[in-house]
Amino acid sequence: MTAIADPRTATASSRRSPGATGWLLLSPMLLWLGLFVVAPTAILFVYSFCQRDELGQVVFEFTWENYARIADPVYLNILARSLWYAGLTTTICLFIAYPVAYYIGRAPVQRRSWLLLMVMIPFWISFLLRTYAWISLLKGEGSVSALLHWAHLIAQPLEILYTPTAVMIGLVYTYLPFMILPIFTSAEKIDNAYIEASLDLGAGPWRTLSNVIIPLTKPGIFAGVLLVFVPSIGMFAVTDLMGGARVPMIGNVIQNQFGQARDWPFGAALGITFLVLFVIAFWFLHDRGEERR
Amino acid sequence: MKRLRILLVTLATVVAAVQLHAAKEVNLFGWSEYVPQAVLDKFTAETGIKVNYETYASNEEMLSKLLGGAAQYDLIQPTDYVIEALRAKGKLEAIDFKNVPNFKNIAKEYTNLPHDPEQKYSVPYMVGTVGIVVNTEKIKEPVAGLNDVFSGKYTGRIVTLNDNRELLTWAMRTLDLDINKVTPEAIAKARPILAKWLPQIKLYDSDSPKTALLNGDVDVGVVWSGEAAILYRENKKFAYVLPKEGAHLWIDSLAIPKGAPHKEAAEQFINFILRPEISALISEAFPYTNPNTEARKLLTPEQLANPASYPAASKLETFRDIGKAAAGVDKLITDLKGGS
Repeated sequence: MTAIADPRTATASSRRSPGATGWLLLSPMLLWLGLFVVAPTAILFVYSFCQRDELGQVVFEFTWENYARIADPVYLNILARSLWYAGLTTTICLFIAYPVAYYIGRAPVQRRSWLLLMVMIPFWISFLLRTYAWISLLKGEGSVSALLHWAHLIAQPLEILYTPTAVMIGLVYTYLPFMILPIFTSAEKIDNAYIEASLDLGAGPWRTLSNVIIPLTKPGIFAGVLLVFVPSIGMFAVTDLMGGARVPMIGNVIQNQFGQARDWPFGAALGITFLVLFVIAFWFLHDRGEERR
Repeated sequence: MKRLRILLVTLATVVAAVQLHAAKEVNLFGWSEYVPQAVLDKFTAETGIKVNYETYASNEEMLSKLLGGAAQYDLIQPTDYVIEALRAKGKLEAIDFKNVPNFKNIAKEYTNLPHDPEQKYSVPYMVGTVGIVVNTEKIKEPVAGLNDVFSGKYTGRIVTLNDNRELLTWAMRTLDLDINKVTPEAIAKARPILAKWLPQIKLYDSDSPKTALLNGDVDVGVVWSGEAAILYRENKKFAYVLPKEGAHLWIDSLAIPKGAPHKEAAEQFINFILRPEISALISEAFPYTNPNTEARKLLTPEQLANPASYPAASKLETFRDIGKAAAGVDKLITDLKGGS
């Protein structure tokens, strides 16, 4: 919403048509939002109250049934597990990403761009390709297994692939850059004077970290948590490919409704519920973030 | 003005060219990895009809695009139960068999089945089963049925299709239930069996279950016969058997959707595919069971010896469309997977 307010204030000086240029500049964005966010969501919303026929086509007859089905413990359990996996992914990402992002943010400019490049390079390769690469790394007769065996660290072939551990590795790997980049942006901006002042005034390195550095990078942490947590709830490719489709996540359930089960209305109801939950969570987190700042 | 006229003339020429062109093409919407390019090229070389080949990975994907109505297809390749559902909804064009004389090559056992009892709407393309593939280097004892696979001996060494209805069907087979009567009672009966089975499965994969078997991550699988046939071609250690409890026979057919713009070209294509030498060419590329009797005579002894392509007889049955009962199946498997 702030995105809409900003250009208006920027053009407020031209008194004759306040905002007109702003709206014009904004129109591609609004068009994009309307076509690709608002319209599909509206379609989903309508579908979620519809029924399906034998062929799986949507029939426009009102029903609450799809939402009633979500309340079934089967689907609630899966939602709970998806939240737990997403939470764990976010936590692990945060602990790995924070030191890395801070280091990159404080590194000399020349080295900084090199380090950033290394974080970005994986994005140049298709996500699916990278996931298949992990499969061949982790498989029983794969290179990681062979290496550990050679080093006499394991006696049996590695049994990681197609387990929840593999799913976790896949999720953390996929979303780590989305945690590093926002924290890096925050860490880069910290004025050294704050840190020096803290140390001069007798705070140890740990107190400086917890009372000065972390509060100053809070916007980055908040953005990172959001960027990792939200998509990892809905992820279905990693659980299918690296988890062997054994433990369904809410993303898999939704995908299944639009694919194999051909029950679009139920899939739409799941999607809408998920969206509403996310909006509530976002407001909650955002409000608290604002308070603390 | 002159410029406008030139523009109009050009436009008219283009439209005419497109229309002329339109008569000389056929839009085939088929499974990926199913129709060899060489076959399409031969058809075009002989008839001058261009084949626009678009592919899908599942019946459901095909239905979504077909019923979405955005594209105009002349030929689709649905599986038996999908033919039944499409036929029931009036979504298929009756085929004029006068234009398809080569239909006589199709073995009688694959015609007039419940999904198309009068054989008016479909022509079998390739046939297959769902059976058990065993890595005989790792598993020495015989595995003959689903109860052997899920005896508990091979926990964590099993790959199966990621297909809810298939999973339910296997459990129903061991109970000797009619696989096409998917009622809440049948689901309730199958539930305890699947609850015992699913935790033993290492992974579910419908797209390429052969990969995990080839990689050695699993030693036994319940998979499409086509996957098993490719495994056998790769290495003879992969044996294929139809479960003694009975197996699912599937028939992929060519059909013409309602309102297809090039119906005659489509029938011409079907007839071409049914020629023995063309059909044998398809079998060479993709080792499914060929329903074309004349084509089978052209296959090499080696091709015919592949147990996954031409398995020993068993109790075989095709799927019928179960309509809305699918929601119950979806819930059952989701629940059981989630509980593990």
